[in-house]
Amino acid sequence: MKNSLIRSGIVAATLIAGATLLGAQDVRDRSGDPLGKLDPQTRYAVELMLDSAKLAGLPYGPLESKALEGISKRASGRDILVAVRRVLRTLRDARSALGPLASADELTAAAGALRVGISGAELTHLASVRDGKMSLTVPLIVLSDLVTRGVPRDTASLTINQLLRGGAADDDFLGLWRSVERDIVSGTDPGVALLNRVRQLPPRVQAGPPAAGVRPPEEAKS
Amino acid sequence: MARQKLPATAVAVSLALLTTGEHAVAQNASELETRLKAGTSSSRSPSVVPFEARALTPSFRYSSPHLKATGSASAQTVNQRWYVGDAEFAAEAATNTYHGIRAEILGNASRVQYDVAGISQQLDLIGRLHLIRENGGVWLGSGIVRPLRITTVSNVSVSSGGVWTKVGPATIRASFTNWAFTRFASNDSATATDFSCASSATDAFNASPSAASSCRRESVLTDLEGGVRWEHHRYEVSARGGHRFGQSIDVLPTSRTYGSAQAAVWLSSQLAAVGSAGREPAQPTRGIPARNIYSLGVMLAYWPIPRGAVLVESPANLVKAFEMRPAGVALQRLTARIGGVEKVEVMGDFSDWAPVPLVRRGRDHWELLLPMGAGVHHINMRIDGGKWIAPPGVPTIRDDFNGEVGVLVIKGS
Repeated sequence: MKNSLIRSGIVAATLIAGATLLGAQDVRDRSGDPLGKLDPQTRYAVELMLDSAKLAGLPYGPLESKALEGISKRASGRDILVAVRRVLRTLRDARSALGPLASADELTAAAGALRVGISGAELTHLASVRDGKMSLTVPLIVLSDLVTRGVPRDTASLTINQLLRGGAADDDFLGLWRSVERDIVSGTDPGVALLNRVRQLPPRVQAGPPAAGVRPPEEAKS
Repeated sequence: MARQKLPATAVAVSLALLTTGEHAVAQNASELETRLKAGTSSSRSPSVVPFEARALTPSFRYSSPHLKATGSASAQTVNQRWYVGDAEFAAEAATNTYHGIRAEILGNASRVQYDVAGISQQLDLIGRLHLIRENGGVWLGSGIVRPLRITTVSNVSVSSGGVWTKVGPATIRASFTNWAFTRFASNDSATATDFSCASSATDAFNASPSAASSCRRESVLTDLEGGVRWEHHRYEVSARGGHRFGQSIDVLPTSRTYGSAQAAVWLSSQLAAVGSAGREPAQPTRGIPARNIYSLGVMLAYWPIPRGAVLVESPANLVKAFEMRPAGVALQRLTARIGGVEKVEVMGDFSDWAPVPLVRRGRDHWELLLPMGAGVHHINMRIDGGKWIAPPGVPTIRDDFNGEVGVLVIKGS
């Protein structure tokens, strides 16, 4: 009787899990050759770069993803090649900056930061000040977005540096990003918005000493 | 004359209540919505003839940043004959916002049929100042009301104020409305909304100099109301309740406390089951007595988008909310609130950059269950076949193809 109940429970759980998975759309095209839409020359070059990434121990998923993104956005073969090459280069630079132990997500985020102009040296510095267990993924994504939205690179980098030293968590970074984004959308100068919002963070994440050189843009100009 | 105590049932098209006058959501883009409601409803009042009907009510709603307009007119059948029933046209114009404050002017022309023969028509014009913040606002205004073909009231003015706030999917509001008007009474009649001079306190009415058989009184009523509107996936619920303050000669016990609730359940993207129930207070300026209202029906809705239309507003401004929540092992439920569009798609590394359409789950709710493991994911969104954009509310990076992608960080369990 007890075994029967257990078996029924397992069957029910399996059915529920199966129904849930079936409810999700299988959104990937597994049937065909995803890179098949590239012209032969571009495809050959992309596959060479994928092999290079594999040999170098770099995550090759972002390269393939960039090529598929380009196909979907109807970019030319040349533009796709340039974009994939840039991803490979920045992934290499990111690993040089963060070290061999950096995760694939951290490398992807760091590659994004390099592409908006953050230097390898700054990334290395950020990696050195973090708490050993902490992932740099979210801080680097926030850093890249802030720079993209017009926050001066030095201000953004030094602020992230200061928060990392204060032990800020991912939620702190994302909360800060939401507030700054809102302020920028409502017309506040991006640099001023960041500095104003940092001051409103809980004291625990501002424990690190103020980063040298972090000044509002108008002060910096004077 | 003793007040009539006849039990009454009156038919009204109260489904129109579903389009409540919430002014809570600041619209960023033009939106046109048309609806057709069909159903039956009834109301009971202690002083009017029973009235029940089936009604067919087409309506429209248009909103843009500076203009909002709604209109409806019902055809109702009583005793197998068709009549024109309730009808309403309302327009609201607003200025630009300065320091969070904007001026608004609201006009309304309406016709209410509250029993077989009872028809009330009225024009309203109200101006107000509205302080709007991200998740709430405060307004204060005043205006005039002109009931048509009502001889027992005149000089109607109204002032109102209120506050609203958004809490998750709910909008909560509280308001007061103050009515001031001159009421004329005769010596020989008294109903739920008209009083006789003889039955009133001696100082309540002053004898009219023009006619010895009539008298008049300056009446003041104040309604204190609270309401909530909640939308989640395929459900829309709104409720309101209030209390009317005023002297007993102006406010009958049946109108002291009132409340009503409406609900819509979207069975498909364009079909909803709708119902409402509640008690409405008397509207003395219109001669409408307090009544209990019940309704049940179905509603068809359509959001027409002209073919080949070019979106003037940024598509990102159309997206009122974008959310990703865990929905199981390696599954994420993507929900978005986007009104007035016909198709929403996303794509990203999770779909090998193949566009995937979202499923419409309600009036402006879109949903999709995606297999997405922990890690960093890139995502784009497209509305009505337009440009691929980064969804609002997530960090973005440039995509190397003259655009941007949103960056999602899915944490492991």
